[in-house]
Amino acid sequence: MTLFSVTRKNIQGNFKNYLIYFLSMIFSVVIYYTFVSLQYSEEIQKSIQSWETMRSIFVQASIMLILFVTVFILYSNAFFTKKRKKEVGLYSLLGVRKKTIGKMLFYENLIMGAIAVLIGVLLGTLLSKLFTMMLLKLLSSTINVSFSISFEAVLNTLIVFSIIILFTSIQANRLIYRFKLIELFHAEQEGEQVAKASVGAAAGSIILIAFSYWIVFHPITEQQLVQLSLVLFGIVAGTYLLFRSLIVYLLRASQKNKSRYYRGMNLIGTTQLIYRFKGNARTLTMISLLSSVTLCAISVGYGGYYNIEKTARNWSPFSYSYISKNEVFDHQADQIILEDKEHPVQGKLDISVIQVNGDISDLEYVPYGYAAKSVPTRLIAVSTYNQIAKVLNREENLRLSGNEAAAIRPWQDNTFSDYVGHTITLKLSEENHSIKFVKMFEERVLGWVSPDIYVVVSDRLYTDIAKQVKPFVYQAYKVKNEKSTIETAKKLEKLLAKDTELSTFYTMYTKELESSGIDIFLLGFLGLVFLAATGSIIYFKQLNEAYSDQERYQILRKIGVSKREVLTTLSKQTLFVFLLPLVVGILHCTIILKAIFGVNLAEKTIMIPIFMVMAAYVIIYLGYYVLTVKSSNNIVNK
Amino acid sequence: MKTIVEAKRMKKIYGGKGNVFTALDEIDLTVREGEFVGIMGPSGAGKSTLLNVLATIDTPTSGDVVIDGTSIINMKEEQLSAFRRDKLGFIFQDYNLLDTLTVKENILLPLALAKMNVAELERRVAIVADKFAIGSILEKYPYQISGGQKQRTAAARAIVAKPSLILADEPTGALDSKSATDLLESLKDLSEQDQATILTVTHDAFAASYCGRVLFIKDGKLFTELVKGKGTRKEFFNKVLDVLAALGGGASDVI
Repeated sequence: MTLFSVTRKNIQGNFKNYLIYFLSMIFSVVIYYTFVSLQYSEEIQKSIQSWETMRSIFVQASIMLILFVTVFILYSNAFFTKKRKKEVGLYSLLGVRKKTIGKMLFYENLIMGAIAVLIGVLLGTLLSKLFTMMLLKLLSSTINVSFSISFEAVLNTLIVFSIIILFTSIQANRLIYRFKLIELFHAEQEGEQVAKASVGAAAGSIILIAFSYWIVFHPITEQQLVQLSLVLFGIVAGTYLLFRSLIVYLLRASQKNKSRYYRGMNLIGTTQLIYRFKGNARTLTMISLLSSVTLCAISVGYGGYYNIEKTARNWSPFSYSYISKNEVFDHQADQIILEDKEHPVQGKLDISVIQVNGDISDLEYVPYGYAAKSVPTRLIAVSTYNQIAKVLNREENLRLSGNEAAAIRPWQDNTFSDYVGHTITLKLSEENHSIKFVKMFEERVLGWVSPDIYVVVSDRLYTDIAKQVKPFVYQAYKVKNEKSTIETAKKLEKLLAKDTELSTFYTMYTKELESSGIDIFLLGFLGLVFLAATGSIIYFKQLNEAYSDQERYQILRKIGVSKREVLTTLSKQTLFVFLLPLVVGILHCTIILKAIFGVNLAEKTIMIPIFMVMAAYVIIYLGYYVLTVKSSNNIVNK
Repeated sequence: MKTIVEAKRMKKIYGGKGNVFTALDEIDLTVREGEFVGIMGPSGAGKSTLLNVLATIDTPTSGDVVIDGTSIINMKEEQLSAFRRDKLGFIFQDYNLLDTLTVKENILLPLALAKMNVAELERRVAIVADKFAIGSILEKYPYQISGGQKQRTAAARAIVAKPSLILADEPTGALDSKSATDLLESLKDLSEQDQATILTVTHDAFAASYCGRVLFIKDGKLFTELVKGKGTRKEFFNKVLDVLAALGGGASDVI
């Protein structure tokens, strides 16, 4: 019998183990290749206007994928190796030389890797077309997708996976040298001590998590980075202790209730879980953290895509607006806009604005790069504001008198603070003038400038100040179907000089569409991969455990536990393992969204996309759960 | 006295076309309440098959098996599980204790499965633990105790639910002679004092000498039967050895 035929027989005999490892390698290749081929796709490059900046985002995402794929392959390799230690030990026991065994394992892994890459690239070619179409759809591009294999993408994939596979092959080769024979034989029995729960660690987990949640809502330091590190540390350490100690502690406590514990299969279910949790603490921590990051990322991406119109409207509330410089230009611009018959003008306004310096130290928000003592502040008369509100379909009839003023929340103010009751001081050449906010608007009225502090003041005050500071005038138009005003927007851009602060809804909208489209695609893609991976890791783990529990369930069957009872306890245990990281993940995600992105969760426009993302996540997880229960049941309940 | 096991023309055939192996060939068997019956025979004689059929883990190809008044032939999986739980107790050569449970939890498992109330359950566990002298190790885990202790735990688990029939498969196979003697004495007491019905498969003539009656099977058929009667255990042991010699199971099968 040659070494080759032994290897072949081996693969036939251990087909199931090989298959799982093989499939996870193919999965990794498919994901990576698909992604990289998007990066090299000409169709996509053509459809994205700012490709150069997008390219770097793609490259960053692909680096994340490499990291991820490496971890995933190493993980399934470890799972596979563990299953085979005994077999390797047997060869050694039967007198095969270590060098020969090492060589065999090396080639075996290498050949499997090579085949996996081949299959992966072929499948990836099909998938990449699908994903290209999806991305182009998100970008509202009309380019047709041809069928092609990108040479650069293949080369890139080959290089990355050659390194990974070579590494795992060398590891496989070293296996026989790394362990003593006796260790190889006891591989499946090791590390299953009965878990003890420490009260300190269990309490520590609650304290750590509660503390980091608390910091999110009550910042203890000005420095964002320190704050963020504290929160992250608290969450990561707390989650680990939660799985390692708190859960075990709670399960142990539930054992004290004898009339519940000594009832039917509760005895088995509870002890099985305790027995497993400590060993799986690291995996479960990783999974719940990964889930929360994934959920956050997709939620933010989807939230952005969902709110494109709202965002664009905030950048540019009018279809077109610019600062009037002279009558000739105004006339030309007016002509251009009126000529566009497809987008009839619904409203046109001359908006008079005064810019002065103001001391806004009474407010929480300070624009980036300015000192609160002196920030350029723009004033609008209340009558003008009411006209704007009418054209923009905002129902508002504002009345202000004397020193009363209304604030319009700056676009980058994420403090959620209410300005009402606060005062700011306008610095005029003759004297300073304090005004007091009596009203606050969330929706902006003019194109974005930096800093964008707009304040509505009484007509009387406005005329007074206008005597000292000369106002300037915005020409603002609202037209029908403003999302498609590509030609007019381009013509206006050509006509008007830079310092006219020209802002068109169309430009803002497409810019938003492009960046959020790519955001959601990348985040969705990575999220899907992470989701599939976390699901698969739990699946592997549970299957592995089902194999080692086989004997235990056989004993139970002999004692008189029915197949149905076995299935019930199995479903319950698996549910616990699936549900716990998911719940923890969702909880963390909600907090992270609040902490990092300042998302106001009560807001409906944010709630809906986040809720949808979470629902999708839960549904996919449910699929994995059903699959896992079914497979484990097949193993233990034959 | 009540009949616990009544098996008629029990037959078990393995394999299909062309490759048929008859493990049990129309065996009749009757065991009465309080009997301690041993089953012996050379390897491949059908001992384990017989035990598995009685344990309802395996089904006979034909024939009828009635245990404690109930025929187990046409029962569904669900019913069989309930039947095993309520009527049968098992002792295996390799103990079959659950390593995730303490000794106490292992013993009370059948009672928990039967959903007995806690007070009665604790009382029963205390009684059997006392009977097998394992009261001091109740909170230990199986990997912390010796083989003899493990087997006594398994025996305690087998009888705790007061089953109609206790089935033992080579119970002393993995024990040293001192532990084996302890266990066999306990089982004998159980059948004599508590009227427990015990059926054990064994290779060991010494173990068989504790039984009240020993059945010998060969090639799936009943070969002969020995009854202890009034004689001493020593005499019975010698008789068993004589039959084994006649049976020709090979020297390796006799201790």
